[in-house]
Parts: sequence; structure tokens; C-alpha cells
Amino acid sequence: MFFQLLANGLTSGSVYALVALGFGLIYNTTGIIHFAHGIVYTASAYILYHCFINLHLSLFASIALSLTGASLLGILIEIVIYAPLRKKGAAPATYIISSLAVYILIQNLIALIFGNETKILFSGVGKTYQLGSIILTQIQLLEGVIFLFLFIIFCLFLTGTKTGIALRGLASNPNLAVVLGIDVTKARAIAFGLGSFMAGTGAALVSLDVGIDTNMGLDIFLLAIVAVIVGGVKVLPGAALGGLMLGIIQNLVIWQASARWMDLITFLILIFFLLFRPEGILGRSRRVEEA
Amino acid sequence: MNYLFHILIMINIYLILAFSLNLLVGYTGLLSLCHAAFYGIGAYISALLMTKLGVNFFLALPASILGAMLLSLLVAIPSFRLKGDYFILATVGFQMIVFCLLYNWIDLTSGPYGIPGIPNPSLFGFEFSTLPSYLILSLVFAGVCFFVMRKLVLSPFGRVLKAVREDELAAQALGKDIFKIKIFVFVIASGMAAVSGCLFAHYVTYIDPTSFTLEESIFIITLIIIGGTGNLKGPAVGTVFLLIIPEILRFLRIPDEVAANLRQMIYAILLIGFMYFRPRGIAGEYKLE
Repeated sequence: MFFQLLANGLTSGSVYALVALGFGLIYNTTGIIHFAHGIVYTASAYILYHCFINLHLSLFASIALSLTGASLLGILIEIVIYAPLRKKGAAPATYIISSLAVYILIQNLIALIFGNETKILFSGVGKTYQLGSIILTQIQLLEGVIFLFLFIIFCLFLTGTKTGIALRGLASNPNLAVVLGIDVTKARAIAFGLGSFMAGTGAALVSLDVGIDTNMGLDIFLLAIVAVIVGGVKVLPGAALGGLMLGIIQNLVIWQASARWMDLITFLILIFFLLFRPEGILGRSRRVEEA
Repeated sequence: MNYLFHILIMINIYLILAFSLNLLVGYTGLLSLCHAAFYGIGAYISALLMTKLGVNFFLALPASILGAMLLSLLVAIPSFRLKGDYFILATVGFQMIVFCLLYNWIDLTSGPYGIPGIPNPSLFGFEFSTLPSYLILSLVFAGVCFFVMRKLVLSPFGRVLKAVREDELAAQALGKDIFKIKIFVFVIASGMAAVSGCLFAHYVTYIDPTSFTLEESIFIITLIIIGGTGNLKGPAVGTVFLLIIPEILRFLRIPDEVAANLRQMIYAILLIGFMYFRPRGIAGEYKLE
């Protein structure tokens, strides 16, 4: 039983980790609590649904289109909303409010077009695989594999490519990054595009698994925030650790208590980390002067 | 006529929320995303006291104010150790925790089924059951809250608040205990939100957790951001303006299921526009930081 729950936790945690890595990248490079990340997630799930169910495209083409859509939407939000604010030198709170507004705007637009009810892409029971005493569905297995694959690529990209290093530079010291000639506008667009792509991947996996509804983005975005804080804000791969841990903890809560208390535990963890270890598990504690 | 009364009562209920949140956002510079939680706590405490224990409204009201204030201490003490983004995230966390408790603590709150049959307030045998009488009741409460807030912000203490908002370190250097000041304001604002919650619960006579979500917190923020913060008129202007928009949509004969989404989209577009062109809102004094 324990190992089955561990496996379930790791697979659902994989999705959290994907969305959290995307948010972590955006938050680190731009410093914006990008609430609209949640709606990029929802929107890409609806693009997938529309292409696959309404337009009868192949699953592969639908996913490709939804991931492209997610990246473009992320970049669009940066160009239309955040970049003009930045040019004006707007206050940090205005970014958060604008981001919330974008979330509300697009969520209601989606609800207006597609309706509020839950929609399912695949019905019926999928194939399952047995590994020892653990039973996993095909999509669960896919969640784990895709996460691992993207996580490795993500880390290689950040450490091994010029663009990745530029993004990390922007994250660690925005002023110095400008001095060193990093094209900030371009770097930010890349962060938004890549981050949104990760959210889109998570959304595609979840839609294939349990279906879609217009509220799906907010819950998972809040989980992503918790994952980023738990893993360590300044340590980009930390978000993955945070996401996997949340997945496991949620499944343990379901086992020991009830699914009803999942959110309660999740947000208590958030408060706990904010208070007692704001640098996260992997983060190095800093002196005040360093921050 | 009843329709007009209804709108005016709702405006009064939201005015109290807007005034109280303005104390936090506009005067002290604290962007809190858990105001709906205290609104909900107030509504639930007084609804439960009245339906389960048969307490009179005018005893349930102070009890729920007190309850919300005590719970707000629980939120305030840890949150105010945090700054900037982390403070906002903590308030989001508390909002979600309160919602989760309201939704899942079924033995106490009946969870998603809500609490039906909340009685109207009555005083010395007079029951506030008609719309005009309830309007007067809500007007009195909104008035009292307004004067409490006015007294507070125009007093020397109000200037201390503005000092905290403008420059925390400078205020601290002048010997002001920032932590205590922030907690005091937060507790007062939460108590006022509880008043609004009571008024709401006993007006609609049925409450469930979906009225007290993160989205509702965001809506209350929207009221004061669009109206403007940091003075007395901004939140009032914003509340009246935003609560009248859905009624205009109704007159334009837009079907209900479209109107709900359309209303939210209008709010969102207004917010984005104001954030870019006029961050201080229609009539505000304080620009967000």
C-alpha cells in the first residue's frame, strides 16, 4: 500500500513539478508572482481539447499545437502586460494585480466559449502496468517519464547553453546582467515561453488523465507556488523536488486522513516554510545584507 | 423599488469590506489577499450562533467580531514577520486554509451544503425582515464602520500608519513599534470584515463557502484598487462603481449566464487598464508599491 501511494505521489508530483519548474523559472528571472501562469495552464488544456475533440486532429498534433499555444500565450502576456509596466517603472504590487486580472480575464473568456462544466478527453479505463506490487496506469507512467526527460533537458539547458546561463545570470543579479550585455527583453521572453511550455506539458498530461475544467489552473498554480517555496526559490531545480514532495505528502494525507484535508496540509506547509525556512530545502540561508 | 433596495444593501455590505481593506492596503501598504476569509468567518460565526444556539443577532454580532479579531491575530502574528511577496503569499495561504476549513469541517459548518434558514436580525421584538428596514440597518452599520475608520485615519495614529506605508524604517527610527501597529490595523480591519459578513449572512439567510473564496478576496481588492486607496472617498467610489456595472449589463438584456462571465471580464480589463494608466485608481491618494 505504502509503495503504491509513493508511486501515485511521484506521478502526480511530476505534474506539479513541471508546472512549478515553469513558474520558478519565470519568478526567478522576472520577480513576478505570475498568477497568469495558472491560466496559461488552463488555456493550453482547452486548446488541446479543442484541437483533439472539436477539430478531430491527431493527438500528437493537438498536443504540439497546445504547447505552442501555451508558449505564445506566456510570451504575449509578457509583451502586452508586464513589459509596458516595466517600461513605466511600475511598482511590484501592480504586476501582481495585473497578473491576477489577466488570470480572471482569460478564465472567464474560456468559460464563455467552452462553458464551465468538466470535459473529458478519453473515457473508459486505460491500460495499466504492474511493477512488483505497484500498479500504474499508462498515463501515470507517461507523467513520470516525461517529467524526468524534461527535467534533465531543463537542467542541461540552464547549465550548458548560453541562453540558459543568461537566464540564470538575470535571476541572480538583474543589474549586473544588463551591464554584461544580456538582452533582458529577449531573456525574459524566453523565460516566459519556456516556463509556459512546461505548464502546457503538465496541462496536457492532466487533461489526458482526468479531463479539464475552467478552474484547473488556479489550484495547480497555488501548488506550484508552494513547491517553489518548499524546494527553494533561488535554486531552480528545487521546484522539482518541492513538486514531487507535495505529490507524495498529498497521497500520504489521503491515506492517513482524507482527501478533504489535502489543501489544508499543503497550505500549512507553505506557511511553515515561509516562516521557518524561507530559503527552502535546497536553498542556502543568507545573511540579511546578502539578500 | 425592492430591486433598488437590494442593490443599496449590497453596496453597504461591500462598502464595509472596502473601507476595512483600505485600512490595510491604502493606509498601511499591506496587500492582503485573505480579506474574504474574515468576511466568511464573521458570517459563519454569527450564522452558527443564531441557527444552532438561538442567540440574538445583537449578541451574535459582537461575538463574531471578537472571533474574527482573535483569528486574525493568529494570521497576523506570523504574516507580519514576512515582507513583500512572501507576505502576500502567506495571506493567500491563510485564505486557502480558511476556505478549506469552511468547506471540509462538515460537523461544524455543514461544508458545501452551507447553512440555510439564518434568521433575520431582531431588536426588542422588531424584526428586520423587510428590505427597507434591512437597508436602514446596513446603512447604520456601514456608517458606524465609516466613522470608526475616519476617526482612526484622521487621528495622529492615522499619520503613523501613513508613515509606516511610506517608509517603514524611518517610522521605526522614530520609535514606532511597526509590528504592533500593523497587527492592530489588521485586527481592526478583520473585525470590520466580520461585521460585513454578519450583515451578508442575515440578509441572504443562506451561506456556503463559495461566497468566501480567494476570488472574492481578489474582488474586494479590485473594489478599492479601481476606486483608489489611501483616502476616504476612493473605496466608496470603487464599490459603487463596480457594483452598478452588473446592473447595467442587466438593463442591456444580456443573458445571465453570459453576464456573469462578462462582468468578471470587464472588471479584469478595468484592473489592467488602471494598473497601467492610473495606478492610484479613480479617486485614490496612494499609489501601490
